[in-house]
Amino acid sequence: MSMRYVIIGGGIAGTTAAEELRKLDPSSEITIVSEEQHPIYSRVLLPHYIKGKIPRERVFLKKENWYSEQNIDWMPGVLAVYLDTKNKFVTLSNGREIEYDKMLIATGGEPRTIFENSRNISYLRSLSDADNFLELLNSRENNCNGEVFGGGFIACEYINLFAHFSIPTRVSLRGDFFWSKILDREPAEFVNQYLGKNGITLRKNVSFKDSFIEEELKNKSSIFGIGIGIETDFSWLKESGVEISSGIRANEFLETNIPDVYTAGDVAEFYDVIVGRHLKMGNWMSAMSQGRVVAQNMFGNKIVFELVSSYATNILGLEVIFIGDVSKESADEVRIIGSIEEGGITQLFGRKGQLVGAVLLNRNSDRQIITDFIKNKGLLPDKNRELLPELVEGSKKRE
Amino acid sequence: MKLRIKVDPDLCIGAASCVTVSPETFQLNDENKAVVLDHSQEPNGRTYERWIEVNDDEKENIFLAAQSCPTLAIFIFDEEGKQLFPEL
Repeated sequence: MSMRYVIIGGGIAGTTAAEELRKLDPSSEITIVSEEQHPIYSRVLLPHYIKGKIPRERVFLKKENWYSEQNIDWMPGVLAVYLDTKNKFVTLSNGREIEYDKMLIATGGEPRTIFENSRNISYLRSLSDADNFLELLNSRENNCNGEVFGGGFIACEYINLFAHFSIPTRVSLRGDFFWSKILDREPAEFVNQYLGKNGITLRKNVSFKDSFIEEELKNKSSIFGIGIGIETDFSWLKESGVEISSGIRANEFLETNIPDVYTAGDVAEFYDVIVGRHLKMGNWMSAMSQGRVVAQNMFGNKIVFELVSSYATNILGLEVIFIGDVSKESADEVRIIGSIEEGGITQLFGRKGQLVGAVLLNRNSDRQIITDFIKNKGLLPDKNRELLPELVEGSKKRE
Repeated sequence: MKLRIKVDPDLCIGAASCVTVSPETFQLNDENKAVVLDHSQEPNGRTYERWIEVNDDEKENIFLAAQSCPTLAIFIFDEEGKQLFPEL
């Protein structure tokens, strides 16, 4: 009998895994259960689409007929509602129950929402969010303001989009800075100053649950871009026995604690063999690579997931790159190269002497050196020695 | 066979997926955009576009790299100028 692979989640991790499994196991049965109504598209392309750089059809990574061509049973607009790992079946929101031999959970996350979803509130997670945002832009009044809530990557996208359409923008932060759990004081100050110089108003220490926010949201002449984080619904896994922490726990093979149940993508809290701890990595590069590796493991090849992933953005010209493990809480050492005065800062994250992550602000040329350094489990030099001579050398060249 | 590989720097966001998949064909420049290499070499300097002679395995790897790009900023053409990826 052919192997039955069931993939919950039709994003880049799940779809890549399906594509890889089809190559590895041509006669198998592959099912993708996807909450999305559309064939897979690139969320990363949504800002390009909103700006009119590409037509809407270019956001799609696969055509609708790709699924049938690949003999993949694609179920769009369907959610998993219950997982029984003992009898190996999953119940779906359309009432169907499907049995599996190997299950992949790649459900990603949902944007955290704010109050009611009134018309002028936008999230930038899905294609329909992008369509909705375009409608808001097209019907905006002359005195329209852009209100951004949040201090992460989605907030950056909104800042760029509002700037593109020449809409004055204010950003409301929960704390004092962008990426408050990641950036040290000086790099954080650098981002704030940069945004200030580029005409962005910052409002700090805002509680998005306050009643005055609720009142503000009624202002129909503003467009609200919300990027206050991601949350995941694990309720369908409650009785499955699958171990959940901040994400679905997995080892370096992306196997969960339950046999034949695997995970990949934003939802996976996997053991990262390079940095030596469990973590979630919510970026495209990681999700796609995990899709490939998890397919190999589901097929029966034992492959360790090993990648120094990164994510890059640009806020109004400020280049921002995150590499590897950038949790300040999990680091026992943080070091800074460069300064506000120099116009570029790299923040390094160390743990037990090893370099595990970095944030680069306007220091793109550090990227490869640092990525290789992390990959090779390089140790940070003693504090009294010159910090990573290669990086210092690199910064000298730029001067 | 020969392929023409082209990166659209306006679409490229420096996600570096292509560099991970095919480092001998793609690297990032100081603007954080992917440039095209010929078997890890850069004859005639840095460029967003070049012809490369490839075997079947190399071709497959370059296609994987192009597919891995979240903004589909990598274009592949054959010798007749036909666009092979992204499929039209």
